Amino acid sequence: MSTRTITVLAVTTSLSEDSSTLKLSDRILAEAVSVGESTGVTVRTETINIRSLASALTDMALTGFRSEALEEAYSRVAAADAIVTVTPVYKVAPVGLHTLFWQLIDEKSLVGKAVLIASTGGTPRHSQAGETALRPMLSYLKGIVVPTTVFAATDDWGSIEGGRSLTARIRQAGEELIGLAGDLSGIAGASGPARADAAARADATATSTGEFGRATGRRAPSIDEEFDPERITPFAQLLEG
Amino acid sequence: MEFGIFTIGDVTTDPTDGTSVSEHQRIKNTVEIAKKAEEVGLDVFATGQHHNPPFVAPANPPVLLANIAAQTEKLRLSTATTLITTTDPVRIAEDYSYAQHLSEGRISLIMGRGNTGPVYPWFGKDIRSGIPLAVENYNLLYRLWREKNLDWEGKFRTPLNGFTVTPTPLDEVPPFVWHGSIRSPEIAEQAAYYGDGFFHNNIFWPTSHTARMVQLYRQRYEYYGHGTASQAIVGLGGQVFMRKNSQDAVKEFRPYFDNAPVYGHGPSLEDFSTQTPLTVGSPQQVIERTLGFRDWAGDYQRQLFLVDHAGLPQKTVLEQLDLLGEEVIPVLREEFAKNRPAEVPDAPTHESLVLRHREGRDPIPGGGEGSRAFADRQARAAEAQETGAERA
Repeated sequence: MSTRTITVLAVTTSLSEDSSTLKLSDRILAEAVSVGESTGVTVRTETINIRSLASALTDMALTGFRSEALEEAYSRVAAADAIVTVTPVYKVAPVGLHTLFWQLIDEKSLVGKAVLIASTGGTPRHSQAGETALRPMLSYLKGIVVPTTVFAATDDWGSIEGGRSLTARIRQAGEELIGLAGDLSGIAGASGPARADAAARADATATSTGEFGRATGRRAPSIDEEFDPERITPFAQLLEG
Repeated sequence: MEFGIFTIGDVTTDPTDGTSVSEHQRIKNTVEIAKKAEEVGLDVFATGQHHNPPFVAPANPPVLLANIAAQTEKLRLSTATTLITTTDPVRIAEDYSYAQHLSEGRISLIMGRGNTGPVYPWFGKDIRSGIPLAVENYNLLYRLWREKNLDWEGKFRTPLNGFTVTPTPLDEVPPFVWHGSIRSPEIAEQAAYYGDGFFHNNIFWPTSHTARMVQLYRQRYEYYGHGTASQAIVGLGGQVFMRKNSQDAVKEFRPYFDNAPVYGHGPSLEDFSTQTPLTVGSPQQVIERTLGFRDWAGDYQRQLFLVDHAGLPQKTVLEQLDLLGEEVIPVLREEFAKNRPAEVPDAPTHESLVLRHREGRDPIPGGGEGSRAFADRQARAAEAQETGAERA
């Protein structure tokens, strides 16, 4: 029952200074903190705005060359316990800049991490973009994506009813995210009352948590590990095929 | 330490005036560049291997290297790189052996895997097997150059029964081999295992990462008992463009950079110069930057510069060679020699390799007696025996 800090990193594509995407991102992070408080877990939040990496991402796509800023962003993803990925939806798909960030990250970068998908769009017709485009991609990266996704259309910001239902979705998604991140980090308290059943199941099959956890070392190796003389595959083994 | 140039033989339209040279002209220019390299006092000319436009680097580099050998006296001739994945190791053994004889031992090779996916199937191979191909093919090449009547079978080519390479290498000493890779630790490991050289092209990657690759190779070289980490044989690339006045260099090179194959239309010249070893400026700036490589790579053996790509006119390339030969290399030679520990070997030459061979100092692949690798193997074998005994 150790208490520890869960780091939640928002990877957000906010194309303008004060976009609704950034607003949504901030609200989800605030919710994560509040869920943490009510379940006895310290939640630390960070945000990467992909806008600042736009040139670096296209450079890397064209040349394979990772800028220092992009390197740092990917290290922050590696260091986080949970990821919130927030994107505007254009033409029923997440904006290309956002998917490019996840397309250029190393394989298995999200092993052992809880992931929440959120997106914004002009009309509710865009609401499934996160499910159809991002969920498979994030699962491919071995992230464990929580069931609830958050989508906010213009209506959700404008009407009372829309606002309430958005708040409820954010609450639900936040609980799922912190609950799962807590389970994955082995913090029982994080499961909280709302997650009691899930926590009980996780306890009953404690090894299933381990399977996804970073302790098993299935995460892609960091660049330091990759070039660690003590860790590399001996050549004789490569020769044997 | 040896200094030289390496080329990828690209036929690129000059972005400043829209002119292109023909393949024929580019090939002739390449020979002229190599001859000029010798004339200005460089040690090495290295060519890539290519099978696809817009490149006219030779599909079989010994063709070009033998031609240059016939027109030069001292210039050492290398590849950068020989495609060990898609070229039959038997043909590599034979063709480079032949060129080694013709050139009186001036040939060396840098092995590379090639990063152009479509090339692999043209030769019946699969890019996903890049590492296994490099591992198996080089192991065969290594043996072909050292064993007669070889019986061999592997995954990627037809078996050999009682096969002997003709001609056998000059003085029974194969050309020196470097293994080149940008980011595959397996290749640094391979170079260390055999006691071969490790070359990093040092063009597309942040220095901090290149340094890790080099350190990995050095430590594993020591592990396999070929010498201390500081004695491992390291080569680096680099990319430069010079004018007396650094602003002139930047102004003149920018359109070539912006439209260059591979990284053109990507990062800015300034970003690329900060994040990679690209140096566009005065000869003094090139000297300072290159000397800085020693800070993270240690004392090393081979430095190659890329100077002839992206559609630069031949006249400009030849001017770059003049600057390298007159102003840069002499200073680099002098400065790199300063404080270089006596135990750090020079770049291998045919003569030094023959001497090593005759004195029985050839590296033992995987590490001979006295190496940590050898001790580890012994320990593992003893352990396996013990386990076996317990079971029995």
